[in-house]
Amino acid sequence: MSNKTLMRFTGVGGQGVLLAGEIFAAAKIKTGGHGLKTATYTSQVRGGPTVVDIQLDDEEIYYPYANDGEIGFMLSVANVSYNSFKDGVQPGGTIVVDPNLVHPSDEDRKTWKIYEIPIITIAKEEVGNVITQSVVALAIANTMMNAIDKETLVATMLSKVPAKVHAANIKAYDLGEKYAKEAMANA
Amino acid sequence: MSELREVISSGNDLSALAAADAGCRFFGGYPITPSSEVIQELSDLLPARGGVCIQMEDEIAAVAAAIGAGMAGERAMTATSGPGISLKAENLGLAQMCEVPLVVVNVMRGGPSTGLPTRVSQGDVRQAKNPSHGDYRSITLCAGTLSECYTETLRAFNLADRFMQPVFVLLDETIGHMHGKAMIPTAEAAEAGIVPRKSFDGAPEDYHPYECEADQPAVLNKMFTGYRYHFTGLHHDKNGFPTEEIETCRKLIQRLEDKVMMHTDELESNEEFMLDDMTGEEGEVLIIAYGSVALSAKESIRHLRAAGIKAGLFRPITLWPAPAASIKKYTDMIKNVLCVELNIRQYTEEVERVSSRLDIEGLYKVNGRPISPHEIVNKVKEVF
Repeated sequence: MSNKTLMRFTGVGGQGVLLAGEIFAAAKIKTGGHGLKTATYTSQVRGGPTVVDIQLDDEEIYYPYANDGEIGFMLSVANVSYNSFKDGVQPGGTIVVDPNLVHPSDEDRKTWKIYEIPIITIAKEEVGNVITQSVVALAIANTMMNAIDKETLVATMLSKVPAKVHAANIKAYDLGEKYAKEAMANA
Repeated sequence: MSELREVISSGNDLSALAAADAGCRFFGGYPITPSSEVIQELSDLLPARGGVCIQMEDEIAAVAAAIGAGMAGERAMTATSGPGISLKAENLGLAQMCEVPLVVVNVMRGGPSTGLPTRVSQGDVRQAKNPSHGDYRSITLCAGTLSECYTETLRAFNLADRFMQPVFVLLDETIGHMHGKAMIPTAEAAEAGIVPRKSFDGAPEDYHPYECEADQPAVLNKMFTGYRYHFTGLHHDKNGFPTEEIETCRKLIQRLEDKVMMHTDELESNEEFMLDDMTGEEGEVLIIAYGSVALSAKESIRHLRAAGIKAGLFRPITLWPAPAASIKKYTDMIKNVLCVELNIRQYTEEVERVSSRLDIEGLYKVNGRPISPHEIVNKVKEVF
């Protein structure tokens, strides 16, 4: 019926997963489509499980949350959030986890395509700025889902971060893309 | 207001932008989840336009400051969530009694009390009807799309000045925080649509702000323009001074009722979604929902129609006063009626009242989670 992409980013409060969702939605809208981001978080300011649902569609989107069981891609950087929200991903769907923080069970690995990419370490050590983890995550999601033309997504991302960190964020995007391609090639 | 612009934003930010574009130049607030983005955004927007955005020491002071600005003649707003409305209630009654225009944005979260701060609810619908004691009529608008977070806030400012009283704009956590595309009027179109409050321009000694037609609001001139009058929460005379004179007291409160209820045609606003092919035949389903729940209802109607069930949505945008005749028109025609709310029957009871029907079905949720389209589809299949 429609060309719909459903993605879910999960982490804990304060990690910056919200921004990646806004960038995806804005980039999709710029290409003439529809994009919607919703976030669910707890009253714990930092450390509570946070989930961001991203819907990209060519048709108008009414219900702003991703329906459980229909999500094609999830990325998680916190074990508590992974366990709370993984069941929304459709069987056979793709899940990317940071292996230093998230520990999927053997059963999970049979249900979904699980890729392990050390997102936080990449941001902290290779980019040199842990805040860029959301852009590493953005690049991984887009590379695996092929959701948005890269040029549009990067331009949208740069419009939402201060100019002085443009270079770091471009580096973060390129690294995310590289690790995603490697993970898919090695699967 | 035909000129539109595309913006990518959230419901709370759009409500703040609308206030600034509507000529609001005073915001008194106190941050509370899930409404805090409204004060955050206005702290940028209002000073840049020569206005004032002030964070007061608590919710009560916040609404008091905004009412003061309204008394002085500025377009003023406050924003909060249900717990804040509970605290502001006494002063909201004062604004009703003194006939002070004010826009009150309530981004609803779970209640009662502090409830579920970060989660969605529509639990303040009944509260919005009567937040404080005494006889008066609430004007309550409820945004059901991102665009309406802008347009309904804009409309609220004109209605506050037209009816000279507080006007509620209800958002909920989902619609306040969801982030996407909205098509909204340009700032120029919004400004061109501003209808300011009436003022009296005769001789100051002939000015009696509360001496007006039986179905019309007070005419409050801006302060410091040479026209003197008095504000009090007590029953008051034509100049605003306390009185217990029998007829004056009766007329004042009757006028607070009639200034709204004799002009409901100026207030009513609804969306009718997939209702134009309804004929009253067996099997048709009418869903009544508002706010973010209506988004879920629309999605469910897509699925129901695909499954051969003729369903449609009636969505009140002005919740109070309720669109009684419009609801009755559809509940008279369609047998199967389902109200869907993120509370327990708060608007269903109004639907029962105006439809004179006690067989209205309901789907309610009060655990801070949204109602999904699938839940609505399943409910329709279960009960009809």
